[in-house]
Amino acid sequence: MRKTLLFALREYKAAVRTKGFIIGLIIAPILMSGGAVAYVLLKDNVDTTDRKVVVLDHTGRIFSKLEEFADMRNAQEVHDPETGEKVRPLYLFENVEPNAADPHAQHLALSDRVRSGELYGFLVLSEGVVHPTDESTEARISYFARNAALDDLRSWLGFQINHRLRQLRLVDAGVDERSLPDLFHWVQVDGLNLVTRDKDTGDIAAAREASPVEAIAVPIGIMMIMFLMIMMSVPGMLHSVMEEKTQRIAEVVLGAVRPFEFMMGKLIGGIAVALTSSSVYLIGGILAVTYMGYDDYIPYHVLPWFVVYMLLAVIMFGALTSALGSTCSEAKDAQSLSFPSLIPAIIPMFIYLPVAKEPMSAFSTWISLIPPFTPTLMVLRMATPEPVPLWQPVVGLVGVILCTLLFVWAGGRIFRVAILMQGTPPKLSNIIRWAIRG
Amino acid sequence: MVPSDYPQFPLPINMPQQNEQSIALHSVSKSFRKHVAVSELDLFVPRGSVYGFIGPNGSGKTTTLRMIMNILYPDSGDIRVLGEQLSPRIADRIGYMPEERGLYKRMKVRDFLVFFAGLKNGKDVKASVDAWLERLDLTGWADKKIETLSKGMSQKVQFIATVVSRPELIILDEPFSGLDPVNTDVIREAILQLQSDGTTVVFSTHDMSMAERMCDFICMIFKGKKVLDGTLASIQDEYASDTIRVQTADGRRVVEELEGVEHINDFGRQQELRVRDDADPQRILRQIMERSAVQRFDIVKPSLHDIFVRIAGPASREVEHA
Repeated sequence: MRKTLLFALREYKAAVRTKGFIIGLIIAPILMSGGAVAYVLLKDNVDTTDRKVVVLDHTGRIFSKLEEFADMRNAQEVHDPETGEKVRPLYLFENVEPNAADPHAQHLALSDRVRSGELYGFLVLSEGVVHPTDESTEARISYFARNAALDDLRSWLGFQINHRLRQLRLVDAGVDERSLPDLFHWVQVDGLNLVTRDKDTGDIAAAREASPVEAIAVPIGIMMIMFLMIMMSVPGMLHSVMEEKTQRIAEVVLGAVRPFEFMMGKLIGGIAVALTSSSVYLIGGILAVTYMGYDDYIPYHVLPWFVVYMLLAVIMFGALTSALGSTCSEAKDAQSLSFPSLIPAIIPMFIYLPVAKEPMSAFSTWISLIPPFTPTLMVLRMATPEPVPLWQPVVGLVGVILCTLLFVWAGGRIFRVAILMQGTPPKLSNIIRWAIRG
Repeated sequence: MVPSDYPQFPLPINMPQQNEQSIALHSVSKSFRKHVAVSELDLFVPRGSVYGFIGPNGSGKTTTLRMIMNILYPDSGDIRVLGEQLSPRIADRIGYMPEERGLYKRMKVRDFLVFFAGLKNGKDVKASVDAWLERLDLTGWADKKIETLSKGMSQKVQFIATVVSRPELIILDEPFSGLDPVNTDVIREAILQLQSDGTTVVFSTHDMSMAERMCDFICMIFKGKKVLDGTLASIQDEYASDTIRVQTADGRRVVEELEGVEHINDFGRQQELRVRDDADPQRILRQIMERSAVQRFDIVKPSLHDIFVRIAGPASREVEHA
């Protein structure tokens, strides 16, 4: 055991003392969260150049209200209320009389003004938009700009113009214009958690408001940390074993330690790396969530399960990848095995959304009991507000322990045979044979 | 198949008792699928000796050494090292330097050596590491990363890693390959010093002259079977004095097509002639003197190199295929 720990310490130091580890610690969450973190960091980094748009209002009934909506927006949303700093562009509209005789020439002239930078875009509201079911006139809203497809302004225009069109249709139907605010008042459905009784006082406690942060963001965040820990510690083991084999270090080491100690040293080193990274992320995440005022949503009861599942996941996948690394004689072997070896860890990433949305469905329950998926999906389910019966994480844990023992046993046999073998390609048939026969 | 006319050696005379053996192999065999790497091998290495392990590439030397180190398991037979069955505890008393050696390139030299000595349960290793670094002239490199070392320096670091935990038995697979003459002498002297301190040294080599000069006992393995075992003198005694070492002013040209000469080993300035049993050396000398001025003419036992070539050279393969 002393040798295993000594070897694990070397592995740990070799991993965490690199710049790659520090950079990975920062970059990995950004990559893994599918750009969400980058979006949050960069969302305020927008072009604040004012957007001047010409409106050709064939109805003659929309422009004035649109300008009014824009003035309201410009007054409320363009400047940071605390610093006064301009954080968004002003939307400025100019009403131009449509040229009914030669609309194409007018559109070309306006396009040229956009190209020259004088305008940001132009908007054409056809005459039939107020009553589109009247087929005698065309009902179309056309927005012309250099990048109209991905333009925020187009979305804003769509909402405001349709809001105005509904108002006009009601007025035309004889509804009093003064009642329009009441007609258009939107009432949100508040999501609330179940009512509970206070354990100490026995009083009925007010239901807490259900939050998407609690229902989705926190569970997915915890699951992502689990996935990150696996991805930050396990693939490195495959390459590290492969390097030790190809650089002929393995035989030197095997002169001092047994193959199983060698592999376990790597696994424990990997666990230490995962614990270091997860500590950074968990502590950082808890501090961030607390700072944002969502500390009530942190599922502290999941954390012990998270740690246990994470340790087992690293051992389980680490044993598999270490064994596969020992079968590689050259870098291209490792490249071809890297992805397949991680498929069991990656599959939950394709199915976590339905599981997070319906954590107690039969699909979610059974898929989270399949051992390679259990660490990520079970903590995801447990972190949602829905209570998961205790037997499920317990059964999941037993399954993961058994699977881990199987992987370590088979991995150890493969490792012992393959680590000194040169020139034998890592075919599936060979790997299975080594695992069975040793 | 080993040719049937190869000399079969008995165990060395006065074979030490078991407690005086550092290594004892009894009928050890190892196959890799259909390939027999080692077959029914008996081997006994006396304590405190320098034991040379020779044989052509692929003959089973490295497989045997790996089995002694418990890195590979024999299919059959018994292996005892330092008087005990193989176990992880025994491995700590053995220093092993494989032929294909690698080092953690990003580690510093001293850190690597301390780490490796720790894996071997070495005690007070820091002082020992520094002493060895100084002895092999590497003190200035102690805090440098291994990737900055030359090949020769790396090999010396590897050697220190093998011996720094003060093992009772040292197994070195091709310890001199790739070393320049200066470093070869350094390592050779270190090995002999270790022997004088009581350490048993087993090393494999392709350098026959090194084996002749250093080894108390020599074992040759060929195609998985032991074909030579004993002291150099006992091995040579199995062969007749059928070798003439000649040095003339005109080199190889003058010894070609001499009557009674079976084979010529040309070393440039010197030639070794293997003569037929019925050949008359005096007659051969006269023939050479007629052709050139003779500077040297010795009738000797065959060198280890010559014996090696007789066993493993192309001629032996012809015998085998006949």
